[in-house]
Amino acid sequence: MTSLAMLRADERAKAGEAFAARGLPHRRIEEWKYSDLRNTIGANDVSAAGSVAWSLPHTPQGLEVLDLSQDEIPGWARAHWGKLRGQGVMEDAAIAFSTGGLALRVPKGTAVREPFHMNLIAGGHGRVLIVLEEGASLTLVETHDASQALVNIEYEIALGANATLQHIRRMPNAADAVRVGTVSATLAKSACYRGHFADFGSKLSRLETNLTLDGAGAEAKLSGVAVLAGKTHADVTTHIKHAAGDTASTQLFKLVAGGQARGVYQGRITVAEGANKSDSRQTAKGLLLGERAEIDLKPELEIFADDVKCAHGAAIGDLDAESLFYLRSRGIPEREARDLLIHAFLADAIAEIEDEGLRAEIWRAVEAALVYAEAAP
Amino acid sequence: MLEIKNLHVAVGGQEILKGLTLSIADGEVHAIMGPNGSGKSTLSYVLAGREGYEITQGSVLYRGQDLTTMAPEERAAQGVFLAMQYPVEIPGVTTMTFLKTALNAQRRARGEKEVDAVGVLKLVREKAKALNVPEEMLKRALNVGFSGGEKKRLEILQAAVFQPSLAILDETDSGLDIDALKLVAQGVNALRAPDRAMLVITHYQRLLNYIVPDRVHVLSAGRIIKEGGKELALELEARGYAQIIKDAA
Repeated sequence: MTSLAMLRADERAKAGEAFAARGLPHRRIEEWKYSDLRNTIGANDVSAAGSVAWSLPHTPQGLEVLDLSQDEIPGWARAHWGKLRGQGVMEDAAIAFSTGGLALRVPKGTAVREPFHMNLIAGGHGRVLIVLEEGASLTLVETHDASQALVNIEYEIALGANATLQHIRRMPNAADAVRVGTVSATLAKSACYRGHFADFGSKLSRLETNLTLDGAGAEAKLSGVAVLAGKTHADVTTHIKHAAGDTASTQLFKLVAGGQARGVYQGRITVAEGANKSDSRQTAKGLLLGERAEIDLKPELEIFADDVKCAHGAAIGDLDAESLFYLRSRGIPEREARDLLIHAFLADAIAEIEDEGLRAEIWRAVEAALVYAEAAP
Repeated sequence: MLEIKNLHVAVGGQEILKGLTLSIADGEVHAIMGPNGSGKSTLSYVLAGREGYEITQGSVLYRGQDLTTMAPEERAAQGVFLAMQYPVEIPGVTTMTFLKTALNAQRRARGEKEVDAVGVLKLVREKAKALNVPEEMLKRALNVGFSGGEKKRLEILQAAVFQPSLAILDETDSGLDIDALKLVAQGVNALRAPDRAMLVITHYQRLLNYIVPDRVHVLSAGRIIKEGGKELALELEARGYAQIIKDAA
């Protein structure tokens, strides 16, 4: 057995043991309070789900794409192997029950101009390693077109000094699917991770983003929207750790829930001891379109440094009756007035996407989802 | 144009209007004056169709049609416009987008052809100029961060753009300094037309120096207690509401 094969076997065995010992996360575990996985899917279904498959229509110039199941793994992938991920039980599941995985690399100083599209075409577990070397940049657009029973992906991301990754994740509505994702990213000096997550709901959908701002000037900019209908669910959980001083993070999430849907935002900011001049802002807002819809927002701050700026805001409400009347009194029909107000509610979060074409794509998905979210029940 | 007969309106089970009767002919400008709590704003909201105002008795006919059964947007399309005392701030919707959406919604409801973006821009700019509404305000989110005077000017700008048949101005003078008041009054006077009626609701006589009404009605405790020509406003100013109410009792 080669050393690589041994490494893999060892890693999978350990992850499998850890998963077996801890079992599926459930509502009595604080981070999973609003997303009870144990109640939604059986452990056997999880262990038997196999590996995901991606369709990668085009590899833009400057990007290296690697299948991690092959016998030889280059040094850059070996160097980061297993070092970036956290201790989450679903990360263990992804390692234990998938084979291979996908690795992306942008070499030092390379700006990849075209976005790289990753379309999920078969469910299961998946592992994605992304390495952007010093000064590199990439836009990654991830969509899940299929409505598989289970998708569980863990992302290990290393951003070198001055590297910029834009990660756009669009999850179409899939009422019967269970979707879990865990992003672990480490940002070196002046690196930037821009994440935009649009979730249109599934039976259970949860993306956990763990970012470590490890060097001065590192910046995390997270934004996203959820538009939910029926009995669907979407949970965005973030943990941004300001490990170094002079780091910045902003978060802007807007959640709309109709029917009996449930939207969740949990955002924890940790400012480590000595990480002075850290600046963090988080805003999460929920809009309820139905009496039986639910939105849970939970911002948390853990600050161990003295000289920091941390702002957070969270608010949940219905469509404003006064605004609705005002618009209607100007001749705008009720339905159109409601749409106008919902669009206005979502607009600033979607405006965080820099690329106009991608922004328009998210808007189209939002329009389609709103038709269902507005319809009772 | 407008025929209100014995109107009784309750809000949250409490009767606010208690038998109000009022009629306005085409081309006329009427003023309703009254102390706080007399039912002035209730009347304006009932005419615009706001929810939560229960008509327990009486009728409101607008151009011969029963106004009370129409949705607010239907009333607007039919030419009823309420300039509100407290215009609502709507973040995320620019003023220009709002004006275009509203104008075309009204036109669509009347079976008229929609006006394209260029046409709306031209129309709005022309009307905005007369009211001293800067272009920059039109690009901002509707009423967000506008001063009291700017909000009121924008209400009158809407009237100028929508060209309603019946314009109800609810305390349009509140919060305005004298220059802003003159400007707004000019805008209102420019809207006077033989086929348009106006109902000016105000607490103070001051506005009526600039918008001279054909008739003045004094509202007290949900009823019109006195009516007269424009000189009634001056009498009110001189003698005060309390005296007039005492006389009428």
